[in-house]
Amino acid sequence: MTTVFTPGSPGSSGAPPRASSSPAAADDTSAGSPAADHSATVTSAAEPAARQAGADATTGGPPSGPADREVQALRRSRLGARRRRRNLLWALLLAGPNVLLLLVFVYRPLLQSFYLSTLQWNLGSPVARPVGLGNYVEWFTAPTTGRIVTTTLVFTLATVGGAMVLGLGLALLLNRRLRGRGVARTVAFAPYVLSGFAVGILWLFMFDPRYGLVQELLGWIGVASPQWYTQRPWPLVMIVVVYLWKNLGYVALIYLAGLQSVPQDLKDAAALDGASSARTLRSIVLPLLTPTTFFLLVTMLLASLQSFDIIKAMTQGGPLGSTTTLMYSIYEESFVNGRAGYASAVATVLFLVLLAVTGVQMRFVQRKVHYA
Amino acid sequence: MSHRTAPGRPTRRRRARAAVTALAATTALALTACAGPSVAGADGAGTAGDEATAEAVDWSAVEPASEITWWSNHPGTSQEIEQELIDRFEEESGITVNLVTAGANYDEVAQRFQAASQTDELPDVVIASDVWWFRYHLNDQILPLDDVLDFVEADAADFQPALYADYEYDDQHWAVPYARSTPLFYYNKDLWTAAGLPDRGPETWAELEEWDASLKPLVPAGGSTFGLSTGPSWGAWWFENMIWGQGGTYSDGFDLTLDTEEAVAGGQFLHDLFHEKGVATLSADDAMADFSSGLIASTIGSTGSLKGALDAASFEVGTAYLPDGPAGGGTPTGGTGLAIPSSKSPEQQLAAAMFLAFLTNTENTAYFSQNTGYMPVRTSAVESDTMTAVYEATPQFRTAVDQLADKARPQDDARVFIPGADALLNEAIERIVIEGTDPAEAFASIAPRIETAYAENVEPYL
Repeated sequence: MTTVFTPGSPGSSGAPPRASSSPAAADDTSAGSPAADHSATVTSAAEPAARQAGADATTGGPPSGPADREVQALRRSRLGARRRRRNLLWALLLAGPNVLLLLVFVYRPLLQSFYLSTLQWNLGSPVARPVGLGNYVEWFTAPTTGRIVTTTLVFTLATVGGAMVLGLGLALLLNRRLRGRGVARTVAFAPYVLSGFAVGILWLFMFDPRYGLVQELLGWIGVASPQWYTQRPWPLVMIVVVYLWKNLGYVALIYLAGLQSVPQDLKDAAALDGASSARTLRSIVLPLLTPTTFFLLVTMLLASLQSFDIIKAMTQGGPLGSTTTLMYSIYEESFVNGRAGYASAVATVLFLVLLAVTGVQMRFVQRKVHYA
Repeated sequence: MSHRTAPGRPTRRRRARAAVTALAATTALALTACAGPSVAGADGAGTAGDEATAEAVDWSAVEPASEITWWSNHPGTSQEIEQELIDRFEEESGITVNLVTAGANYDEVAQRFQAASQTDELPDVVIASDVWWFRYHLNDQILPLDDVLDFVEADAADFQPALYADYEYDDQHWAVPYARSTPLFYYNKDLWTAAGLPDRGPETWAELEEWDASLKPLVPAGGSTFGLSTGPSWGAWWFENMIWGQGGTYSDGFDLTLDTEEAVAGGQFLHDLFHEKGVATLSADDAMADFSSGLIASTIGSTGSLKGALDAASFEVGTAYLPDGPAGGGTPTGGTGLAIPSSKSPEQQLAAAMFLAFLTNTENTAYFSQNTGYMPVRTSAVESDTMTAVYEATPQFRTAVDQLADKARPQDDARVFIPGADALLNEAIERIVIEGTDPAEAFASIAPRIETAYAENVEPYL
């Protein structure tokens, strides 16, 4: 990164245009051309001896071309240093507040969480007990871990997969020239901006197996309402449905933007060649949407694995832990059971999983992405 | 990079070093700003609690602070009532009280209090529920109150003994009772009359089972004679009555007794109530809602729900003691008290104690009770004019107070003192109720986890 701004380095010729327009940079870019270094040439022609003495005094080197370059380099480096100082100041000024916030509110807690994961600490006590990797050993051997991981997987696959498929469908629908399309788009996106907790509470009323709207609707088609609150696996189904409802609009909106950037001439060409709309979708639209799909996959996966508000509002991880995801178990261990160290260990595991998932996606999935 | 000129390098390196140093300093600063716990030796973390009883404050030499803060969840939607009490206090004492909504329920207030414990953002008075105050005490976060209550002449002897004794540990009281409740047996008087039953609750669970035959034909489809709901801070509370009724307990002191014959019998009783005898059904969310709508003929609800039930039900609501089992029974008490953080200055603590004394004096506890349905926490308040009038108008309110005097029993230590145990016990109860799991198996599945919680979070701090 510094190469670009370093005077005399080979990279300087590749400096961005903005840099070469400043006076300091003009000095830099001329460094390669011998005629351009005006002052140095004059000096060397008029006063060879003095120059030699000066060169000797400064560098002790032989009275020849290299010494010239040393002098130039020295001057350049002074100028460069000043410029670098200014650049650094600018960089600090512009990035500083952001970096500081990141350090304080992201990296510090992250590091501290790694540290806490090696302790046995109840969150309120002024003292803690170091246990090394004990918390990790416990998590990997705990009888509840399997259930929590399974729940997390089911929840994540259902929410991410469901949101992608349904969101694409919705986007295709909203992309058509329909009357009231603008209203429909707004309506579809609205749930995404609502508070997850409020959404959870409202849907809880609607799912009430005795008085809720859902049992009423099911009653119309002669289906008895499942025990949404108490009977496995319905509580999990319930939170998946609500999560999908809340996030569908977001996926659809991003897909819609992607759809609108698919060139019409490609579609026209496909139509001319007699491709059906299904074929066009499969061979033209979907491949061109891969960057969008990739972006959504990463963001949705991260969001889903970290979802908390809907679970907290609707099931509190129950009944019988059937809706306890990794994320929820972190909250529960830390704030309900008072095991902050253990919870930090689970948080670290979750962090590593997220890191790995993102890494794998970057590495493999991105290769298959078409950028139009 | 190899083309870099010689003089440039040290400068750059210095810069880089300076930048790294600055970064490191910022990070270090950020880290130390909230450094978390200090680390004790591997043999135990238990030094904190020992410093608790350090030096006694001479309260007569302390001038009370002019402003204090109170963290509350306004139990029983009591925000306006709390504010009214604060206004009265400010008028009398000149001390300002800032009422802060610190959560929607006891757990949320407690979580916030725990999270703030390493900072200086603590309140001067805080809600301390039955399952939380002991954790505060273990962490050395709250002040023992006996001395200071004595100094402000709070007349602690007048507190309902069963309620005040709940906060006693190491010969000290760590909170005062505030919004206190017991579970009650609620029944639909109209259905009772229609079924030709006497106008009272069942004295024993066996009696309720007998009555089931005459009640069941009268409830609407999908309903039942008796309905219950489960959940954290709830299931393991009412189940204490059932397990005690069979002679069992969750624990004896901190020793778990879930594997005893009597405890398993308690679980079996619950199992049969739902799965063998069909007397009871599980309410989806809130059994009180099912009761108020007439779907179930009876239920167990908190004292705090009485006002809501009386308002919501279209029939006459009856209240009774919790039924007994073959080995007796009894009722647990619950709800919340108020505590004073130990880290505040004596001036603030004194002002806070004055406020506690005022909040729980005879007149104010009656006012609070009258408006929320929580039990009056003072013996003198029970017989006060205010409460006498309330009981005359709505005799149902009287049941809780009488039950407290006749049947209250301290909760088992495991549920109230071991962090997370309440949720685990509820999990076992849900397995029995929802999935019909064998009680011995359900208890065995959670016992080791409660023992871990004890070994980790209680034992080292005792």
